[in-house]
Amino acid sequence: MELRYPRDTIRNISSVLIRHPAFLGATIGILAAFSQALLISAGGPEAYGFCVACHTRDLVNGMTNIVAGTSLALAAISKNSLLPVMSVAGVLIGGYISATLHREHRIKKGTRIEYLWYFLAGVAVLNLAMIFGGCPYRAALRTGYGDLTAILFIVAMAAGVILGAYLMLKKAEREDA
Amino acid sequence: MATGILPREAAIFFVPLVTLLLGILIGYLAQRSGYCSIGGFRDYFLFRHTRLLSGYLTLIVASCAGYLLFWFLTPDAMEHFFWALKSGVATPIPGAPGSLDTTAYLIFSIVPGFFVGLIAVFIGGCPIRQTVMASEGNYKAAWFFVGMCVGSVLFAAIVSGWVVALMRSLGFGV
Repeated sequence: MELRYPRDTIRNISSVLIRHPAFLGATIGILAAFSQALLISAGGPEAYGFCVACHTRDLVNGMTNIVAGTSLALAAISKNSLLPVMSVAGVLIGGYISATLHREHRIKKGTRIEYLWYFLAGVAVLNLAMIFGGCPYRAALRTGYGDLTAILFIVAMAAGVILGAYLMLKKAEREDA
Repeated sequence: MATGILPREAAIFFVPLVTLLLGILIGYLAQRSGYCSIGGFRDYFLFRHTRLLSGYLTLIVASCAGYLLFWFLTPDAMEHFFWALKSGVATPIPGAPGSLDTTAYLIFSIVPGFFVGLIAVFIGGCPIRQTVMASEGNYKAAWFFVGMCVGSVLFAAIVSGWVVALMRSLGFGV
């Protein structure tokens, strides 16, 4: 029993740690810096270690360019490499592995009109993020890299979230009354 | 031209591999923790919960620490760290389309930021949360991901040209 005790403690601590968002935040931050240090020779831009919107753009446009022979715009690091950056495919695979291992994989369906709204939201979010040049994650990486304009993005995003949450709160109150 | 640890010939080979492994690790941990940047601000505003927000704030601090660390170890790879000191306070890191003046890029930071926050809070999650929910079997999030894929082709083919032309016609061109 005495021998098992520290191992259980370590296991408990690691399971709490893995489930805490701050641990993932630290992981992304350090590994994004590491991947830039490792791979920057392939091409820019800087502070590009992890970004859901940009890397989706690179993956889709890069594969379209390879398969269909088009020349859609994408970041230099993906243009120069053999294949474009694959982190979004990795996120899908990693999320699927974790959901399956922990029995949290559930098919959740919606209505067709919901699918349409989510599809349009996807198009809109990607285009808005590309106008800025990054999703919330690259904004955080750019802030860490010292780009002060990215702080403006984060502050504006917080303002948008507060307005949206306020509107949803009002709507919920109206439906209750 | 910045040079990293790997030479260029090796780097172009390792880019898809390293980013795939990085993505798998991030996807696994994001599924475990329910990580979401929009959700952090939303939960703090509605319920004063700080759990998710701590994840996003840690990302900013940890990326700064990580870039600082690798700036010491491999200064050639971190050519412009710390950006605001080397390239000017109001200059963004390249990534946004076109060659426009500083004011245009400040507008590009504020307006899209506001609307990304607004839209994402209505659909209940930022891009990474939607991607992870899609991998968990949520069809609505999967349609969001399809929308992102279609949107990236649309942006490269049409929208970026429109935005740059609009900003030029407003007098922000260089």
